[in-house]
Amino acid sequence: MSDSKLIVAVPSKGRLQENANAFFARAGLDVVQGRGARDYRGVLKGVDNVEIAFLSASDITAHLAQGSVHMGVTGEDLVRETIPDAASKVELLTPLGFGHANVVVATPQAWIDVRNMADLADVAAAYRTKRGQRMRVATKYINLTRRYFADNGVADYRIVESLGATEGAPAAGQAELIVDITTTGATLKANALKVLDDGVMLRSEANLVASTTATWDETAREAARLILARIAAEEEARTTREVRAFVPELSESKLKKGAAKFSARLRGRGQDGHVMLACPKADAPDLAEWLIKHGAETVTVGQVDYVFTAKNPLWEKLAKRLG
Amino acid sequence: MATKNGRKDAKSGGQTLLAHLVASGYKRAEPPILQPAAVFLDQLGEDMRGRLYLTTDAAGAELCLRPEFTLPVSVAYLASSAAGKAAAFSYLGSVFRFRPDGSGEFLQAGLESFGRKDKEAADAEILALSLEAAAKAGSGDLNVTIGDAGLFAQFLDSLKLPASWLRLIRRGLAHGVSLDKIFEASPTNGSDDHSGVLAALEGADKQGARALVEDLLSIAGISSVGGRSVSEITERFLEQASLRSGPGVPQDKRDLIAKFLAVSGDPDAASAALRKLASDAKLDLSAALDSFDQRLNFMVARGLDPASMKFSARFVRRLDYYTGFVFEAHAPDAAPDKPVIGGGRYDRLLGTLGAKKDIPAVGAAIWVERLFAEVSA
Repeated sequence: MSDSKLIVAVPSKGRLQENANAFFARAGLDVVQGRGARDYRGVLKGVDNVEIAFLSASDITAHLAQGSVHMGVTGEDLVRETIPDAASKVELLTPLGFGHANVVVATPQAWIDVRNMADLADVAAAYRTKRGQRMRVATKYINLTRRYFADNGVADYRIVESLGATEGAPAAGQAELIVDITTTGATLKANALKVLDDGVMLRSEANLVASTTATWDETAREAARLILARIAAEEEARTTREVRAFVPELSESKLKKGAAKFSARLRGRGQDGHVMLACPKADAPDLAEWLIKHGAETVTVGQVDYVFTAKNPLWEKLAKRLG
Repeated sequence: MATKNGRKDAKSGGQTLLAHLVASGYKRAEPPILQPAAVFLDQLGEDMRGRLYLTTDAAGAELCLRPEFTLPVSVAYLASSAAGKAAAFSYLGSVFRFRPDGSGEFLQAGLESFGRKDKEAADAEILALSLEAAAKAGSGDLNVTIGDAGLFAQFLDSLKLPASWLRLIRRGLAHGVSLDKIFEASPTNGSDDHSGVLAALEGADKQGARALVEDLLSIAGISSVGGRSVSEITERFLEQASLRSGPGVPQDKRDLIAKFLAVSGDPDAASAALRKLASDAKLDLSAALDSFDQRLNFMVARGLDPASMKFSARFVRRLDYYTGFVFEAHAPDAAPDKPVIGGGRYDRLLGTLGAKKDIPAVGAAIWVERLFAEVSA
């Protein structure tokens, strides 16, 4: 780890990279790659003392666990699968809204007698009693599978490690069922597989993840705080609307009640009766109606670019973990 | 240092143990430390994977440090010319099981007896020898608990419950789920799909229904069924149908199971109680109970006092592995999951390892460090 710099790992290729870059750009942070697309190091324009490391998603997870990068963008599925005792080594700071995929348990569609995990536990036990062998589960998610099956009382199975085209394993006779990642379920369907009713093990998406095992000196902390402040400010701005109105007749207590009703926060109130509230995007029209009912002539609803706050929930989450 | 002495005690204690077993006719087996992992995963289940020290060789085959001795000793016996004949082995050495806190290396001694037809005598011998060996190594008094997985299996069979209820009960008890919880769940677990079809099929002519479902599957062009046969799927599908509207396990049978599992204490008294329970409920457990009593007699003949042991009907260790006599011995203050000795009869294992015919097998493992745990602590 180079000294006194915050190292942020981002995916080095494909859709995940585009989405990650877009995510940072939205927060006003430009990921700038060193000379040419082949350089594996870069900087974050707008924040000093940050080094960007371009890595594959699975490498990012490994580096986070080892503490050789401070923060990174990677899938929750990888975090939960590859980091033993993930909770003690990393902190999932915020989901990023892309890279959605579910890790699911899928059996052949022909198993019309198997709808859920309890059925599977029963069938697996019967299978073993009858054949003296365990049912085989093809997957690359060995640890997730083991935990989920144990939680659901499925004991009589055997994992067959599969690193590609897992969905083809049952048809090829390499396994009886699979645990795999799916986005639309189309590939499963094409292979005559179905997801069990309670067979979604994990709803995964890309996350901004912090390593708690990395060395967090003052410089790294400050850089992280700045980045997280911008991310939080953009997220707050994107998900909320600013609502303004002139309601001189409305009492303080009534206003507070109304705000609570629409999950809004009072950002300001002038002596003259001007009020400014921030509320979730979806609630803005209802809040506007409510204000008109209580004497407002006009209500304006607007979107802002950033909402910086003295309290930064993302940074506080991380700071609490780092101690 | 206490631990250092403890380790030294364990080393020399282990040798004392082994010497006694070898002198009793149990030839020392020395399987390699590095073992193919597949056999352990197949037999012990995937839960074991998290505790194995796994590695791969240049060709990509999965290997592990041996996590226990019974499987490698059994495999070596089957591969030898003695396979199928009576043979007895002892062992002493390190076993490796990952644990998050502390070393994953443990010293284990033990003994296995294969191919003996006089099962009750062999059971008693394994118990007696392992206790003697532990005592020679300086174990002090141990609390012995005995059970009988074969008796429990016969009891469940005699209840004539639907197969999926039986599986549910076995699985539940193996995972330490209480009986009430088990009976709360239904093997059909309330899934709604197909319920109309199932209801329509219920009570229908069995062969007709079966032919219908098989036809439907073949019309759908389903040939790949992931290792299960179409008739297996059909059978369970229809079994679910018949369970759906059924009353579940009748109350009198539930009470009977609870009563059976509650039997514990002095082995002779327990045997009498179980005979009474069986005759009251008109169940035939005589074969299993005769075997139980005979085993107690052999124990007495080996100089053991059954009255000093505790029998528990619900103590079956792992029901999917053990098939008859089971036992554990604990130091007086030890945690329930930390026995010094644990063993039992596993008549199915050699068959699943590829033996042409069933070969009776019984054995025990001794956790050598635990013998000295409180002495050195």
